[in-house]
Amino acid sequence: MTMDEKVLTDSAPVFIEEIEKLQEVIPRKINADPKNVEKGVAKLVLTLIELVRKLLEKQAMKRVEGGSLSDDDVERIGETLMKLEKKMFELKGIFGLEDEELNLNLGPLGDLL
Amino acid sequence: MIKMSIYIYGITDSKDKLDGSLKGLEKAVVYNMPYQDIGAVVSDFNGEIRPIAESCVMKHEEVIEEIMRDFTVLPVKFLTIFEKQENVLIMMKERYDGFKENLNRLRNKAEFGIKIIWAGGKIKENISDSHNGNVQDPPISGNSPAKNYMREKFGKYKINSEFEAAANKRIKMVDDFLSKFAAEKKLNVLKSENLLLDASYLVERDKECKFRAAFEHFKNISGDMKSLFSGPWPPYNFINLPIKDKV
Repeated sequence: MTMDEKVLTDSAPVFIEEIEKLQEVIPRKINADPKNVEKGVAKLVLTLIELVRKLLEKQAMKRVEGGSLSDDDVERIGETLMKLEKKMFELKGIFGLEDEELNLNLGPLGDLL
Repeated sequence: MIKMSIYIYGITDSKDKLDGSLKGLEKAVVYNMPYQDIGAVVSDFNGEIRPIAESCVMKHEEVIEEIMRDFTVLPVKFLTIFEKQENVLIMMKERYDGFKENLNRLRNKAEFGIKIIWAGGKIKENISDSHNGNVQDPPISGNSPAKNYMREKFGKYKINSEFEAAANKRIKMVDDFLSKFAAEKKLNVLKSENLLLDASYLVERDKECKFRAAFEHFKNISGDMKSLFSGPWPPYNFINLPIKDKV
């Protein structure tokens, strides 16, 4: 059976484009090139911080939705999340990282974010 | 002097010799190294692939698929190389139980891949338009920067929730068609906004035709969704070995 017989689709270019886009964004390995090692480590650390930030944000939204937060709570959480997002924006700028780059491929477990 | 090593393609449920007609990387003869009642399918290797060409990856896959015709195979990752035969046998001895369990579970089964693309960007836009940028349930009172920030985030959260619900509804539709003919499945949902589903299904050989027919049936009613069907593949996504047992 040839590869052509093994892959059946009437929209090959669309799939190729989408898969290539994903591969560009989510490298399977951290870049440990001596010239880029600082950026590689920053990317890893910021990805983990972004994961925690997103979890906090989602939890907060669920609580807003559930109506379990007082006005003061919303104010306090909003300020915290806002500052955290601002700090992340600054750090991404320092290391020249885009939002799409903050992700990790965990192999069989899929992507982190 | 070229240092010879052992290139491994997969673990099989057979200790029998191969007939020597199958050629692997560097056109080397592929042979089976038995350990108890299982075997490691290998070829001798001079230890260098530079640069790594697509043809090498395809050759690795080709060998595994060829062996799949006659045996159950646990495919091993491309470019897995052992220094000498003795090391392969040590690895086989240490991981024998895990290999046996997987070989038994995967016997007479093959992996199929399904990818579905939908107009995710457009769908999200429609959801956003239907909210008209003004999600107020539940309302957040006040106009401080923090409250405005939370209001904006809550709006996005609601749009994303609706988007995910719409995605899950479609994925269920696909999966309902396919999963009844599959022994196991792994679904990766919304890897990107447009890649709705990237799934692997483990299918028993005698259910392959029904699985293909189910996919065709789905395709006929899938509307604007685009689909990709691939396989049969070696069961790359269904080998369950503890991390320490990974080859």
